[in-house]
Amino acid sequence: MTGAPFYLGKGEFMYGVLSRLAEVIARAMAIIGGIVLLAVIVLTCVSIIGRAFYSSGICCGPIRGIYDYTELGMAVALFAFLPWCQLRNTHASVDLFKPAFPDAMNRGLTVLVDIGMLGLAVLLAQRLYLGMLDKINFGDTTFIAQVPVWWGYAASLVGAVGFVLIAAFCVLRSLRLFIGIPTDSEDYA
Amino acid sequence: MSHIELALWSFPVLLGLVFLRVPIALAMLGVGFGGAYLVYGTTLPIMNQLKSLTFGTFSNYSFSIIPLFLLMGQFATLSGMSASLFRAAESFLGHKRGGVAMSAVGACAGFGAICGSSLATAATMGQVALPELRRYGYPGSLATGALAAGGTLGILIPPSVILVIYAILAEQNIEKLFVAALIPGLIAALGYILAISVWMRVSPNDAQVRPRVPWGERMKALALVWPVLTIFVVVVGGIYIGVFTPTEAAAVGAAGTFLASVASGQMNWSRLKQAILATAGASAMIYLIILGAGVYNSFLALTQLPQLGAEWVGSSGFSPWVVLGVVLLMYLVFGCVMDSLSMVLLTVPIIYPIMLALDFGMSPQDFGLWFGILVLIVVEVGLITPPVGMNLFIINGIARDTPIRETYKGALPFVLTDLVRVVFLAAFPAITLWLVWFIDGFG
Repeated sequence: MTGAPFYLGKGEFMYGVLSRLAEVIARAMAIIGGIVLLAVIVLTCVSIIGRAFYSSGICCGPIRGIYDYTELGMAVALFAFLPWCQLRNTHASVDLFKPAFPDAMNRGLTVLVDIGMLGLAVLLAQRLYLGMLDKINFGDTTFIAQVPVWWGYAASLVGAVGFVLIAAFCVLRSLRLFIGIPTDSEDYA
Repeated sequence: MSHIELALWSFPVLLGLVFLRVPIALAMLGVGFGGAYLVYGTTLPIMNQLKSLTFGTFSNYSFSIIPLFLLMGQFATLSGMSASLFRAAESFLGHKRGGVAMSAVGACAGFGAICGSSLATAATMGQVALPELRRYGYPGSLATGALAAGGTLGILIPPSVILVIYAILAEQNIEKLFVAALIPGLIAALGYILAISVWMRVSPNDAQVRPRVPWGERMKALALVWPVLTIFVVVVGGIYIGVFTPTEAAAVGAAGTFLASVASGQMNWSRLKQAILATAGASAMIYLIILGAGVYNSFLALTQLPQLGAEWVGSSGFSPWVVLGVVLLMYLVFGCVMDSLSMVLLTVPIIYPIMLALDFGMSPQDFGLWFGILVLIVVEVGLITPPVGMNLFIINGIARDTPIRETYKGALPFVLTDLVRVVFLAAFPAITLWLVWFIDGFG
């Protein structure tokens, strides 16, 4: 995909841009989430080594509040993974009857499912935002590390908003397929 | 409509949505949400709950073992360990009749000890062992069937992502479940090897044997798999002794397999990105289902269905063993069309309390472990049964010259050994439990 050819018109060009943008956003978020996951792994290993040194009386100790950091990091990483899961449709579903359904029905179902997913994404993001406001108001902090919990919510919100954007793009993608515009080589229907 | 009727009606609605290709997470969340609305007459409680439920689920400390194990499996496939394991197994078994296929199964078992996913195990071992099997003249059916079956050892031998999810849903001890899975996993590997041996005797074919390898070289080949053994002992052993939490163990395992993949020279930035993306897709999928299952199950709990169901089955006078048989059979049937993970997430919250109400003459803890292993085996059979068996598709995709029909045929003997094993383990719970008892005796 190196830009839409000129003869495909403006709409096609716009879709090409959106498609590439969605790919870049979802991929970047997933990779950043993965780096957070790797950071959690490194911190956990450092903490274990510190604890081992401590218990053998040498020095150091575990990282204070490592479990808190693990929890916050995991949430941020997993929210960041959602857009990629949506774009590549790695959701678990049962495709058993797909070959038995007429083609138009399958394409219609994909549109409905993608709209449902968009609804879910909006719901999760909006609730997460309200949850964050609650945490700011109550001033909740994590148990040991005393990190404000709303930081975790705020960082997770990035992934949740990405999920909304990608889910919206997926609706567009399946609608185009539904009305019969040929799309990228991969078959998402 | 009474609450109970509402709960009962939610099953066909949920199944209908799932068969209309609605992602399982979305279907469960939607039905749970709608059900809760009908019970309360307002969406307020559930909307309030959702303000913290998603973040709470995604940040749950015990759940975080799942993405870590998935990443560990991704790194393991890049560690080159699949090839070392296969060569080591071949040096021991290659000269026997059917030995190359047996080696592939043995190597799968070894790989299963550092990888908690069947699909990753099947894909990796398929790439290593399939060319070798074809070179020695194994028929496509046997070669692909053995590898698809061997792939299920990725889940059957701990660590295992499905067991982690079962442990969370049934509130079981992950450490003990891993120990309980060990012996049945080894029996599974032996069963597959036996199936190959019988196949070679019953059906004439031109598969050749390799020359016998002297013991010195066998030891050398075995020495090369030390990273697998080290990682397995540290992860599973460390969890059990209590050196670290299961989540910490999974982090250590991921770090260990990462180092192994760097040492093998196969890790680079683009492969790391691929490993992360694969982990991202699978983790997000699983967490969304956990979230959906949470919403759906809290709706069911509102209607008190699991509780009343358990009371009803408990007082109905059904033989516990008949109920167990029906439940396991149901898993086998559903396994033909559904993937194992969704099946466990969908059913265990409902089935487990009902089964627990039945008297099998053992403690609740023993029952939880034993039932978990039985469920694990029956859902894994689904990976190698047609029409929808993911392992069959993966191996068949690698073996381009073998028609899928041949692969279906090749998987049959292995499915048979699976069925025999389930009956055997169900009839004699002690086989699964004795290692747990034995180790508990020291604690």
